[in-house]
Amino acid sequence: MSAPTVEIHDVRKRFGRTTALQGVAFDAAAGITGLLGPNGAGKTTLLRMMATVLAPDDGRLRVLSWDPQVADERLAIRRRLGYMPQEPGFHRSFTAFEFVDYVAILKEMTERRARHDEVRRVLGLVGLDDVSGRKIKALSGGMRRRVALAQSLLGDPDLLVLDEPTAGLDPEQRLRFRELVSDRTADRTVILSTHQTEDVAALCQRVIVMLDGQVLFEGTPRELTQVADGRVWLADDRAAGARLSWRTADGAHRNIGEAPSDADLVAPTLEDGYLLLVGDRAFAEEAA
Amino acid sequence: MTTTWHADRTVLAAYVEGGLDDVRASSLEAHLLTCDRCRDRVATSTGADAIDHVWGSIVDTIDTPHRSAVERLLLTLRVPEHLARLLVATPSLRLSWLVAEALALGFAVIAANGTSDQNEELVLFLFLVVAALLPVAGVAVAFGPGIDPTYEIGVAAPMPADRLLLIRAAAVLASSVSITVFAALALPGLDAIAAAWLLPALGLTVATLALGTWVRPLVAAASVALTWVLSAAAAAVSTQDRLAAFRPVGQVACLAVIAVSAAVLTHRHTLYEGRIAR
Repeated sequence: MSAPTVEIHDVRKRFGRTTALQGVAFDAAAGITGLLGPNGAGKTTLLRMMATVLAPDDGRLRVLSWDPQVADERLAIRRRLGYMPQEPGFHRSFTAFEFVDYVAILKEMTERRARHDEVRRVLGLVGLDDVSGRKIKALSGGMRRRVALAQSLLGDPDLLVLDEPTAGLDPEQRLRFRELVSDRTADRTVILSTHQTEDVAALCQRVIVMLDGQVLFEGTPRELTQVADGRVWLADDRAAGARLSWRTADGAHRNIGEAPSDADLVAPTLEDGYLLLVGDRAFAEEAA
Repeated sequence: MTTTWHADRTVLAAYVEGGLDDVRASSLEAHLLTCDRCRDRVATSTGADAIDHVWGSIVDTIDTPHRSAVERLLLTLRVPEHLARLLVATPSLRLSWLVAEALALGFAVIAANGTSDQNEELVLFLFLVVAALLPVAGVAVAFGPGIDPTYEIGVAAPMPADRLLLIRAAAVLASSVSITVFAALALPGLDAIAAAWLLPALGLTVATLALGTWVRPLVAAASVALTWVLSAAAAAVSTQDRLAAFRPVGQVACLAVIAVSAAVLTHRHTLYEGRIAR
C-alpha cells in the first residue's frame, strides 16, 4: 500500500447515549476503499469525519496528512476534497446546472467562464448534460444522486468521500458510476460506503467491514471472499450446520456456515464472506 | 457570388489578431460574407485557441440557464455574479419571504391609518418593534443546519461558514430595511419617530450574529427577539411613554449594542466554522 491519505486512530464518537464509533482504526491510500456494513454500523459518521463535517470525541484523524481539527489544515483539506453526503439536500428551485454552479462558488471558483466550463464538465461526466437546465424538483431520484455526485467531482479533488453513491441508481447507472470512479483513481483516493457487495467486488482495492461502530474486517475484496472459503455449499435442503441458507433459482439450497465433510462446496462470493462476518445480524436488520 | 478584389494579407492578419477598428472590421466582414477565398484564408490563419475561446463563449451564452427575478435584480444592483448566486439560495431572500415581510408591515400601516388617535401610538409601537425584528428573523433562517438544504455540502467546501453567513446577513438586512423604509413612509402623521426602528434593527441583527458564535442561529435570534420585546415593553411601562425605547436614550443604547456586538463578532466570527465541526 502506498502512503496513507487517510489515517484513523482509535476514533470514538457518541451522539447522546448512542455510541456511533467505538475505537475505529484503519488507513486508506490512493485507490478505492469501500466501507461495507449494515445500517447504523457507523459508516456515515466516519465518512462525515473524513469530510471535515464532524469532529471525533476522541482519537486521531489525519486526512491528506492534515489534521481536520486545526482550522488552517481543515481548509487545506476542503480545498482538495469532494464530498457526497448520504442525503444531499438541494435547493429544489435550482436547475441541475445552477446547483452545481452554486457548489462550485462555495469551492472558491469565482471566475464565471472557467467555473461554467467546469460545471458542464462534471455534469457531462455523470451523463446529465442533457438535463442540466431542468429544475432539480423535476428530476428522478437517480438523477438527483448523479447531480450530487457531479458536485463532488468539481475541481478534480484528491480525495473523494462518497456516502452510498450507488443507492437508488439502476444497474446501467451503477455501471457508469463504476467506470467513472475507477477511471480517476491512479493517484487519487476514493472512500465510499455502500450496501452493495457487488460494488465492492467490482470496484474497491480495499474493503472495511463495519459493525456496531467497530471495524470487523480490513483487507482486499479477495481476502473478504476467502473468509467464506470452504463454508459455502449446495444441498437439497437447508443444512443443519448452516448459519444462513436460501433456495436459489434452480431449486438447490445455498448454505453458508460450517460445512459437513461431504458437502458439495462451491466457490464463495464476496457477499458470502460479508454475510458470514456480519452473520445473522445483517439478515435480521434487512428483514426489519 | 464572386468578387473581383481580395483583402490584403496584412489586413486579414490584423483582423484575425483583433487589431482592426470597428469600421474596417465590419467592412471586411461584409466582404467575407461574399468571398470564399478570403474566408478560407481567415479560417486557416485563425489559431485554435481563438476559435475555442469564441466557441466557449457561444456555448456559455446558450447553455447558461436563465436567471431568477431575484438574481437579475441583484445583478442590476451590481452585486458580483458569484455572490448573487450565493444569495438567491438564501431562504430569507426568496420572493415569498420578501412578500411576507411586505404584507406584515403593510397590515401594520393599514391598522395605523385606520385607528383612532388614542390607539395610534400603540400601533406605531408595534410597527417599530416588528420592523426592528424583521432582519433578525431573516438572519435566523439565512444559513444553518436544518435551514439551508445544502448545509452539509457547504460545510465541507472551502468557503468559510462565517463568510457565507455574513454575506447573506448583509443582503437580508439590506432587503428588509428597504421594505421597511417604504412601509414607514406610508405611516400616518409621518415624523422622525417613523425612522426610529433603523438603529434597533441594526443592533438586533449584529447582536444575533454575535450571539450566533455561541449558539445556533435560530436560538440566537429567538433570544435576541425576546430580550428586545421585553426591553421595549419594560421601557414603555417604566416611563409611561409607549415609545420610550425609540427615544434618544434608546437609540444610544442601540449604538452601544452595535459597538459591543460588532467587537464580539470581529473577535469570534471564525468560531462559526469551528462550532459546526462538532
